Amino acid sequence: MLEIKNLHATVGGKEILKGLTLNVGVGEVHALMGPNGSGKSTLSYVLAGREGYEITQGSVTYRGADLTTMPPEERAAKGIFLAMQYPVEIPGVTTVTFLKTALNAQRRARGESELDAMNVLKLVRQKAAALQVTEEMLKRALNVGFSGGEKKRLEILQMALFEPALAILDETDSGLDIDALKLVADGVNALRAPDRAMLVITHYQRLLNFIVPDRVHVLADGRVVAEGGKELALELEAKGYAHFAKEPA
Amino acid sequence: MSAALPSIEARRSEALDNFRTRGMPHRRFEHWRYSDLRAILDAGQVAQSGTAKWRVESLPQGVELVDLAGPADAPEWVIQNLGAVGQRPTMKEASLAFADGGAALRVSRGRKIAEPALLQISGSGNVRLLLVLEDDASLTLMETHDADAGLLRNVGVEVVLGRGAALSHIRLAASSPKSITVEHIAVTEAGNARYRAHFVNLGSKLSRTELHIVLQEDGAEAHLSGVSALGGETHADVTTHIEHAAGGTRSTQLFKNVAGGHARAVYQGKITVREGANGSDSRQTAKALLMGLRAEADLKPELIIFADDVKCAHGAAVGDLDQESLFYLRSRGIPEKEARRLLVRAFLEEAVAEIEDEALRAKAWHEVERALPHAMVALQ
Repeated sequence: MLEIKNLHATVGGKEILKGLTLNVGVGEVHALMGPNGSGKSTLSYVLAGREGYEITQGSVTYRGADLTTMPPEERAAKGIFLAMQYPVEIPGVTTVTFLKTALNAQRRARGESELDAMNVLKLVRQKAAALQVTEEMLKRALNVGFSGGEKKRLEILQMALFEPALAILDETDSGLDIDALKLVADGVNALRAPDRAMLVITHYQRLLNFIVPDRVHVLADGRVVAEGGKELALELEAKGYAHFAKEPA
Repeated sequence: MSAALPSIEARRSEALDNFRTRGMPHRRFEHWRYSDLRAILDAGQVAQSGTAKWRVESLPQGVELVDLAGPADAPEWVIQNLGAVGQRPTMKEASLAFADGGAALRVSRGRKIAEPALLQISGSGNVRLLLVLEDDASLTLMETHDADAGLLRNVGVEVVLGRGAALSHIRLAASSPKSITVEHIAVTEAGNARYRAHFVNLGSKLSRTELHIVLQEDGAEAHLSGVSALGGETHADVTTHIEHAAGGTRSTQLFKNVAGGHARAVYQGKITVREGANGSDSRQTAKALLMGLRAEADLKPELIIFADDVKCAHGAAVGDLDQESLFYLRSRGIPEKEARRLLVRAFLEEAVAEIEDEALRAKAWHEVERALPHAMVALQ
């Protein structure tokens, strides 16, 4: 589903990704682990198409198509979703208006009919309950005054609503206490499907107790330095990142 | 009282003298710094500009209307107030001297009018408005200006609010890129009166909306808000001066500006807290969102305080669209153009929300939305 080959990317003229290669197959859940500054978030932004993240070498192929030339909105319409580490607050746009606008924009881009306000609300309510996203949260301005946990739950609600083919979760566990973490992990697990791939980016092994990956990749200094099954995450926890950073894969 | 007051004719002739002596306002005057009227208009053009048209499109029952071009035997409340409210700045003197007409509206003591009064100003020239709300009266007035203002439209408005009176004043000015549009609004408020005003400016060659509000007695309030959405070569200047002349008076101001193309948005807000006006509370916020590198905004809050125990807060900020927010929306599938529009709308929302009447708020939004594509042109 996603093939990243020898990817080099710069941010503000500084090279952050230095030859990253990674494949995620359909129906699989992959974890990408690495210390701060290893390039985890940069990869997530490159995949989502953020401006200012320049690819200087290598390729990113999604469902057989070159991803790198698509604007972010096209990637979203084609099924890529990035749950952000720091979801932005947008005063003046209510959460429910935002969800409706985004859902319909994606549907429009795919040539599907738009849903009216009532149907969107019905759909949102259906998905919101399990994530404990309240009616009151939906009426508030997008992410404004939301706690860290509420913001992350809203990210997962969007994922449930948009039903992406490839979901990238960027440090969704950061800033969450254990109860919130379980709630978010349950939400993610509910979305595991044979036709959906996930790339779970995290600093800590903890999240992977709840979202058990098929494959684990270790990122250091812009490259994948180790790969393995779910047991690699435990080994990493025991030995520390420094141990892996020394021996490139 | 009225015996001491010169006749309307005498006031008009004095206004003419004042206008002739002083000449056109220009940028050397601090409060005309960003709108150099003299550079594009001379006194002779003002004198020859005639009288603009006005039309009351909807007059709710209970509102008294007097045509100022009408009979010389004006009612006492017109004689008492016309040309007698507040200070006498030059362009206001011009409208008094040269306008052969205008509208005066009165709501008598204790009458609360639910339905809004709608007043339209059209054509070029000078015109006067007088609004008198007696004690405990209330009214909502929407003043709309059409786009065809010719060379100059100069409006002089006087508002007199009795004790406990409440006026909601919404002014909606269409874009008039070839015209000079000036409006001076003078407001005096007795105890516990409340003046709420919202200004939608869509830009003129030079647009000036100037307010001078005196919170004369305890508990009087003024709440001003507005949005300017400017594109092309247009300009809109909102200059306010609120005087807290008594204790326990309150004022709030919230102005949001979006400027694209070569447009220029100006806000100058002066607050004076006079001696003895203890415990008064004033807040003002002005923000501008600039599209591209050719648009300009000048925001200038000013505080002058002679009293104790007062609360004054002010803030001004000029910026461009937040790139992180834009990326967030686009990453959710919202196309760039739509995302930008959503963010601009969100920026303005807080100010437009100050319009209490739902239908009038929707009308204001409609006009703002129409102007946005023009105001969002980013030039490099």
